[in-house]
Amino acid sequence: MDRRRFVKVCTGSAALASANWGRMAVASDFEAFPAAKLTDRSGAPFKGTTIPTSEALVFSYPLAGVPCFLINLGDRPTKPNIALKNEEGDYRWQGGVGPKGQFVAFVAICTHQMSYPQPKVSYLRYAASGSELAGGPGRIVCCAHGSVYDPADGAKVVIGPAPMPLMPVRLVYDPGTDELSADGIMGMAYIKRFFTTYKADLIARFGPGGYRQAVGEKTVCIPISQYSGLVPTC
Amino acid sequence: MEENNSRRHFMKTGGALFAAGAAGLAGAARSTMANAAPAVATHTMAALPKAKGPRLVVVGGGTSGLTIAKYAKKEYPKFDVVLVEKRDMYSSCFSSNLWYAGLINLEFLADHSFLDAAVNNNYIYFNATVTGLDRTSRTLSTNEGDIQYDFLVLAPGISYDYDKIGVTDVDAMTALRQIYPGGFISPTEHVTIHRKVKEFEGGVFVQTVPSGNYRCLPGPYERACLLASTFKKNKIKGKVLVLDANPEITIKKDGFHAAFNELYRDYIEWLPSKAVTGVDVDRKIIKTEFDEYKFDDAAIYANVRGSTLIEHLGLMAPSSKSNQKEAHIDTRFYNIIGDPHVYVTGDSRPHPYSKSANTSNTEGHFIAKVLAARAQGKEISWVSPRTICYSMVNAHPMEAISVDAGYDYSTEKDIITGFSKDTKTFENRDAAKGEATLEWARGIYRDMFNA
Repeated sequence: MDRRRFVKVCTGSAALASANWGRMAVASDFEAFPAAKLTDRSGAPFKGTTIPTSEALVFSYPLAGVPCFLINLGDRPTKPNIALKNEEGDYRWQGGVGPKGQFVAFVAICTHQMSYPQPKVSYLRYAASGSELAGGPGRIVCCAHGSVYDPADGAKVVIGPAPMPLMPVRLVYDPGTDELSADGIMGMAYIKRFFTTYKADLIARFGPGGYRQAVGEKTVCIPISQYSGLVPTC
Repeated sequence: MEENNSRRHFMKTGGALFAAGAAGLAGAARSTMANAAPAVATHTMAALPKAKGPRLVVVGGGTSGLTIAKYAKKEYPKFDVVLVEKRDMYSSCFSSNLWYAGLINLEFLADHSFLDAAVNNNYIYFNATVTGLDRTSRTLSTNEGDIQYDFLVLAPGISYDYDKIGVTDVDAMTALRQIYPGGFISPTEHVTIHRKVKEFEGGVFVQTVPSGNYRCLPGPYERACLLASTFKKNKIKGKVLVLDANPEITIKKDGFHAAFNELYRDYIEWLPSKAVTGVDVDRKIIKTEFDEYKFDDAAIYANVRGSTLIEHLGLMAPSSKSNQKEAHIDTRFYNIIGDPHVYVTGDSRPHPYSKSANTSNTEGHFIAKVLAARAQGKEISWVSPRTICYSMVNAHPMEAISVDAGYDYSTEKDIITGFSKDTKTFENRDAAKGEATLEWARGIYRDMFNA
């Protein structure tokens, strides 16, 4: 995929405030990718009203090898426009989308030591009703070393050793059709490191270079209980 | 000339022992070491590229050294980092118990390359054994030549202290080390214990637990569980006899007692306050203060001390600071007292921290920041290491318990006073923690070996 043909946009307010945004060193930006409609296995667009609140759905975006969580927070409100920081700099997370702002998405790779959902097992999950490690309901928990993130708060770290929030994925909600698309992501440098770290596994699963292919206009969302054979309830 | 003479003398005495196997060699610091002065430079420089920035030499490619080599470079890219490691093949001590029960294979422990770690993280892996140190000229001597440093980190791990279990005769000690290894230092010990478990046909398998601050506090109990789980599954008519020098299980006691009582009533006999006072290797008898125990096979975990390398290099703390021959370092920043250029980290530290992988990994992240700051003339505040540690108490099915501990520092006393308030234990064994145990280890491998 030719990445250069995609326009780099900035949604972070700090970045927007700067005339010289192309060289921003202190702000982390969303990077725009072609929008991908979130669908079910049959390829039909997922209707927002049918997205469960009990677990995360897993989809690939913007590249086949990048796992993301789509989470329906239900009645739990998100905190919009909060200030967060990752390894690339400061950014603002705009909150969820949807009728109640209940839909959020993040790259499902633990920022501590890169645990992520795989077909065999996922050590990272959205614990809707809480868990031993979560310290409260509605959090994302990593079994490996107990990192806990709050998806209503931009996936900010609430407990454990993770050094930064999960990387955000930008969603677009169409109220007319009740459908969702993804059209941006933050943290491509981190994802590049993820690809290097798991290169052999990713080649085994997607074929040489397959994990680096763009997902295209549609990306399938699969409940994590079906996506991974085993999801430990840490 | 004089230096060369001293050097030759050293090589004939203490140096030879280190060349034979360094940090892991129990008892290596005995009489020969007592006379060996901290060695001098050979004037043969190691074949290394010229340093392109402040040279940081890290000795020891275990959890502590690998973490520091990687993260010091990340924190301060000007560092020219050289990792000196005597092994040419990595294999972790952490998670090795899981192999005995067939839950992982040897690749899980060993399929991690020193070369890749160095390339991925922009440092040099130098396969050599340390033979001496001259702190005045800031020269580290190795069997492959001398290396000049601006900062030196020594992370050589532990050695066994057989004296403390009453085995002072060098013949008995050698036999014990070879026939009944503790399995808490070198990969070759793990291979031997793995064979023993597969070959065990019944009877008594003794696992001893030493006193003091030994490596991996729950390790011997976890091993007892995993051996028992294996014997139970394979219907072996045998038991694991745990001779524990301590009056109570040292960590996660409720979780271990529950496993002993509920899963292994017929397979584990745990005897507290049974410090080993001697071993008759030929007759297969272990002696404690009042009793003798006959065994069919055993893993005899002697007491633990700071690596003999620390003693050899003259960096040992006085006995008032450490009764385990650990290093004489600053409590918070790990430099040798009075020398801001030399640091001792990982399990040779005198701290009461649990000597575990997660402790060394998190400590390493902090020390990398200390080194980066000091290379730039700055200081940072102390941060506690973290001990996140899983113990697999059942192999069929996999179930584990865990602890997540931090530590408190007292400014007045300049000591670590104990566990911090946010320390938690998770002692109800379950399958989720069983699975997490595997990913815990994989995460640490990724953190040390990948970019």
